Amino acid sequence: MIAIAPDKLARALAAFAEVVGADNVWQGREAQDAYADAMAPRDPLSYAPLAAVAPGSAEEVQAIVRIAAELVVPLWPISRGKNFGYGGAAPHIADVVMVDMIRMNRILECNAEMGYVVVEPGVGFDDLYEYLTSNNIPLWMSAPAHTWGSVLGNALERGVGYTPYGEHASKICGMEVVTADGSLLRTGMGALAGSGTWHAFPYGFGPSWDPAFMQSNFGIVTKMGLWLMPAPRQTLNLAMMLNRPDELPAAVDALRPLKLDGTVQASPSFGNVIRNLATRGPRSQFYQGQGAMPPEALETARLQAGVGHWNFGIRLFGDPDINAINARKVRDAFAGKVEAEFEQTEWNAGGDLRGSGHPTPTLAALGVVDWLGGPGGHLTFSPVSQFSGAEAWKQYTTVRGMYEEAGFDYYGGFTAGQRYLNHITMIVFNRNDGEMTARANALFSRLIAVGAQNGWGEYRTHTLFYDEVARSYDYNNGAMQRWNERVKDAVDPQGIIAPGKMGIWPRRYREAV
Amino acid sequence: MRGLVFAVPLCLALAAAAMSPDARAEDPAPAVNSGELLFVQKCGLCHLEGGFGTRVLQRRVPQGQALLQDRAALPAAFVTAVVRRGIGSMPQLREAELSDAQLAAIARYLEDGE
Repeated sequence: MIAIAPDKLARALAAFAEVVGADNVWQGREAQDAYADAMAPRDPLSYAPLAAVAPGSAEEVQAIVRIAAELVVPLWPISRGKNFGYGGAAPHIADVVMVDMIRMNRILECNAEMGYVVVEPGVGFDDLYEYLTSNNIPLWMSAPAHTWGSVLGNALERGVGYTPYGEHASKICGMEVVTADGSLLRTGMGALAGSGTWHAFPYGFGPSWDPAFMQSNFGIVTKMGLWLMPAPRQTLNLAMMLNRPDELPAAVDALRPLKLDGTVQASPSFGNVIRNLATRGPRSQFYQGQGAMPPEALETARLQAGVGHWNFGIRLFGDPDINAINARKVRDAFAGKVEAEFEQTEWNAGGDLRGSGHPTPTLAALGVVDWLGGPGGHLTFSPVSQFSGAEAWKQYTTVRGMYEEAGFDYYGGFTAGQRYLNHITMIVFNRNDGEMTARANALFSRLIAVGAQNGWGEYRTHTLFYDEVARSYDYNNGAMQRWNERVKDAVDPQGIIAPGKMGIWPRRYREAV
Repeated sequence: MRGLVFAVPLCLALAAAAMSPDARAEDPAPAVNSGELLFVQKCGLCHLEGGFGTRVLQRRVPQGQALLQDRAALPAAFVTAVVRRGIGSMPQLREAELSDAQLAAIARYLEDGE
């Protein structure tokens, strides 16, 4: 790693204060505490930053980047820092200054006719929800399990939600980006001054760069267009509980053609029994032993809670007549493949949004970290799976076996994309238990390695494991990694923006190792 | 008991009204002190009735003390430290998202209802 010289850091912070005001610059222990990983699987101060600066506009971000480039002080941008399980507000390395964009929280435009919003990084899902509902805008947002985080940051990290617009990265249309020299560029049609289609036509002319600014360190995105779904007249949910683990493959295979042909446009998620139990209370409520819950204890807990081993809902969004037809198709597809029956519920326009399928403000998902009694943390291991029952079963049995061998309960689920499954699993641990966190870290590294041996790659990972996951994408002796490094060296030769994010290190850092 | 305890739906309605001038004109928000309003806005999602924080605290503190507004004693210094450092399952809140002045108002409100 490369340490920042104290005098350079001091000069940079003084200059940042000139830009944003001294009240928006922090350093020392105050900054470390503020930006430490709240769910850290190891000493959070070991990768907490030296300092932080919170700009209020894109112009201030530009000014900060120019100062940082002049003094060669690396920055680590975050939107809201609520990416729990993936590092939260923490950087990958300590020798950086955070660029905290939570103050940039304006919804700059909402076009109800064309179905999009333009947001700054600090806009949270809660903010967007309040904006849409309080202004009676007939658009629905999609959100991940908790709604505290950034709309922009989540989409850039390729987060997922549970509406037909749940693949958030694919709904980005048009970005504004501060590059490592402090310049400002706009992607897609935004590159044409005065274009009225920046947030309607995603490609523009020539190479399409939006995806290169997702999960990357090639620039700082300060503004983003995001398509929102027209509010449906009705949602119809078909909920099912599968009572045996080995019913997963049949359910996956039954769902696949429905996703491929568009019958099911949302992203159903097959969640396992632990994922359900963890929303109800701590594990001690069901089991007091050490290590992973034995199968018989898990089955007793499952029956006590009245849930399935796999629990999922297939929600249809649209006009009632069409939903009725598609619901029949879903029922037909599952008939005879699994033992359980669907339980149908409906929501109609004008009803309470809770339970509609439109996300409402919640932090309930954070309850998982209390599973072992706390103070809890979690590491999210999330490999991509082929959309096939056989492959999902192989991933499930392999990953669950490794979790249990390491003494952890397997908490997981498969969320369906159109042609893939996101297998999202969580290692839940107590942060104050050194032996347990060491086991969690070791398990995580083994999961990455075993996953790669099977051709499984993570779609996203915790800041601490960027390098291991990046190395696992090893086709042609790491050709993609080399390409990413070439691009980084070209667009950010000093490595000012998030050095090491996603395992992409600029030359200065590579040569310092 | 510290002042008016909002139910979650009212909290959301209040937040919505705050964003819509028309709604505020037609349905004025009840008079509350800034500490209470800030508590509802900044902490309410977790720490009002039904919130995740309240549910966790129900398992850890004496009966009737899970709602922070109902706490018999909640020193401002303790609230300040917990918010800035985090505790248990609760992540810390940093100054960029909750200023020292806002935090002081919340802490004062939880300590003595002012």
